Amino acid sequence: MPAPFILDRSSVTQVMAWVLAALLPGIAVYVWLFGPGILVTLSLATVTALVAEAAMLKARGYPAKPFLTDLSAIVTAWLLALSLPALAPWWLIVTGTLFAIVVAKHLYGGLGQNIFNPAMVGYAVLIVSFPLQMTQWPGPLSLTDAPLTLAQSASVIFGGDLPKAMLDAVTMATPLDALRTGLLQQLTVDEIMVQPIFGHYGGIGFEWLAGAFLLGGLLLWALRIISWQVPLAFLAGIWLAAGFLHFFDAGRFGAPWFHLFAPSVMLGAFFIATDPVSGSTTPRGRLIFGFGAGLLTIIIRTWGGYPDGVAFAILLMNLSVPLIDAWTQPRIYGGATRRGKAPPA
Amino acid sequence: MIEQLKAAARNALRSGMILFVFALIATALLVFTFSRTEPTIERSRQAEKLALLSQVLPPALYDNDLLASQQAVPPHELLGTRQDSARWIARRGDTVTAVVLEAIAPDGYSGNIALLIGIDVDGNVTGVRVTAHRETPGLGDYIVRSKSPWIEQFVGKSLTAPESKRWKVAKDGGQFDARAGATITPRAVVKAVHAALNYFARNRAALLAAESAPDPAPDQETPP
Amino acid sequence: MTLQEFNTIFQNGLSKQNAGLVQLLGLCPLLAISTTLVNALSLGLATTLVMASASGAVSGVRHFVPHEIRIPVFVLIIAALVTVIDLLMNAFVHPLYLVLGIFIPLITTNCIVLARADAFASKNRPLHSVVDAVAMGLGLTMVLVVLGGMRELAGQGTLLSGIDLVFGEEAKQFVLHVVPDYQGFLLAILPPGAFIALGLLIAAHNWQKARAERRVHAAAPMPA
Repeated sequence: MPAPFILDRSSVTQVMAWVLAALLPGIAVYVWLFGPGILVTLSLATVTALVAEAAMLKARGYPAKPFLTDLSAIVTAWLLALSLPALAPWWLIVTGTLFAIVVAKHLYGGLGQNIFNPAMVGYAVLIVSFPLQMTQWPGPLSLTDAPLTLAQSASVIFGGDLPKAMLDAVTMATPLDALRTGLLQQLTVDEIMVQPIFGHYGGIGFEWLAGAFLLGGLLLWALRIISWQVPLAFLAGIWLAAGFLHFFDAGRFGAPWFHLFAPSVMLGAFFIATDPVSGSTTPRGRLIFGFGAGLLTIIIRTWGGYPDGVAFAILLMNLSVPLIDAWTQPRIYGGATRRGKAPPA
Repeated sequence: MIEQLKAAARNALRSGMILFVFALIATALLVFTFSRTEPTIERSRQAEKLALLSQVLPPALYDNDLLASQQAVPPHELLGTRQDSARWIARRGDTVTAVVLEAIAPDGYSGNIALLIGIDVDGNVTGVRVTAHRETPGLGDYIVRSKSPWIEQFVGKSLTAPESKRWKVAKDGGQFDARAGATITPRAVVKAVHAALNYFARNRAALLAAESAPDPAPDQETPP
Repeated sequence: MTLQEFNTIFQNGLSKQNAGLVQLLGLCPLLAISTTLVNALSLGLATTLVMASASGAVSGVRHFVPHEIRIPVFVLIIAALVTVIDLLMNAFVHPLYLVLGIFIPLITTNCIVLARADAFASKNRPLHSVVDAVAMGLGLTMVLVVLGGMRELAGQGTLLSGIDLVFGEEAKQFVLHVVPDYQGFLLAILPPGAFIALGLLIAAHNWQKARAERRVHAAAPMPA
């Protein structure tokens, strides 16, 4: 049974380096369509993650260098940063990253032991604690009058010293927010979709971003760094659940394509749900894991109290992994024991 | 065999009796405490309700016993109610000065928002309070007075000031302020208050008149 | 009761068998109500009061209760006492009662109360039982207070907020604004914050225990 068990540190570094590389197309599109603010967020998250990682390794009595250079902390930082609104204030980024590294990663035993995806824990903590700041998404550049420069973005992130009127002009509701808002105003999906924020599938800019993440994800799959089961099942879960609701009442539920190309889905499907540590380890288990996460995403998006559901869906499925693994463990003929997940070396 | 059954029955009877005695003692204890605390509890309850009502009515507007003026209002679309709601009448001397209505905003971010709305005889809002809601903490819950003074901006508003098309949040081109990123909740509240004012305008006579009758009948719609 | 017995019972309640940190019993109210220090302390003391009276009563009647119906009788006693306290709080500290709400009646279902009644009070003399209940209750209260303090400080940057609910409006001045102009960290106040904070407390308790054990080992002379 091939499984992405982490064998030694050098292979971890290699895998992590490929994951970072696969994120680059997404980051490039992000900068191109939404402005350079994301670069500030990424850098700040990276620095925070490395400092936190070093401090926790020291506190736990591990040598810092081999673990610091395995790049896993940077992957966590980037995934979290890419999930945050690009103009989130600095303390938001620092708090989320600290929570991801210190609590979700090291308090659970460090790389290979964490039951939850650290980046998603960081995200969940932030969206629950600071929902207001978590909605400051800059609009796509094609829809904004005065795009922010790198320096301006940095000053917003570190000082928050942008006049409210200007910030209102720069930030706008994401397609998911716009859909939810419109539905609550008793508009039908068709009436909502004529707003400028919506593009062909998932919203201007956002659909290209989703496409870039998809591209990076396919690269990881081609390199056999991630399995095909999780992303495919995740996307299928979203498509089927959204499709079912849409078929049932097209006026009140967004189209499946729209849900697939909302920004967080591709990132979640290829980069986050595929985390070998917090995901399922059996092939059939991965199908269940991915499908369940997709299904939950749509349920939370449609009826939940928060704007997006990908993070919560993945965390809930992380929680179900021991059960899924126990169910789907291939049983050796004649062997009577049911084993849980084998601990990564 | 018979002997064993008899012993078991005796045992069960004995246990039952003991349980009964304990139940009796417990009941007596409760009856005693209840009778001693009931008047105080009732007073606290009334005071609490009165405190809530007085938040939507300036004290200068009434000198009557507000709680005694409570009557049922049949469900109405404009109030967002599906069941009878309550209505209180404020009087100063013999003149009716204001009415307090219960209303529901059905389209909050996560379900119903229950409101208490004070309206004076001229149709001006004297105050609004949220009595129950399930909005996202930290995002939509600033409509609650203890979190922010947002809800105070309704005071003094009426159907004519601002005019109907300005009874919206600022983002939709209206008069009412709302926090960026959280407009669904205030939008629902603004809409509900506006609808309640409309309800008041249509049923003004019935709402205010029922009170002047010494023994008010359950109120009806305005006769055509 | 000797001093030594007394000490053992108290050590058990406060540390070794601490209801919140070691036995992990009665977590529902522990997690739900520990949003502020005042809430936590109030619920803790109410629970302690229930435990002390319940354990005393159970111990007093232990010879009259047949083994097979002891649980229903104990539950009856506890439920009656909780209802009495519920009524008393409703009457005399009404605002606080509104905050603690459902969790006062729910003390009935708090397993730590029944656990002490069954495991200790039904086998020991009344004085011992009351002392045990007080020790256990105080142990729980202690955890609740620390938890409430942590969550309140992290969540809203204050301590003792809501103290006016217990001592009246004038007590508002005792609220400590530890961090002025605090942004607020909602997570700490929401349910997940309770689990995270309790996890940290248990970790601290275990760490301290492990250290104490290590010290004992280090101090003990090496076997020859």
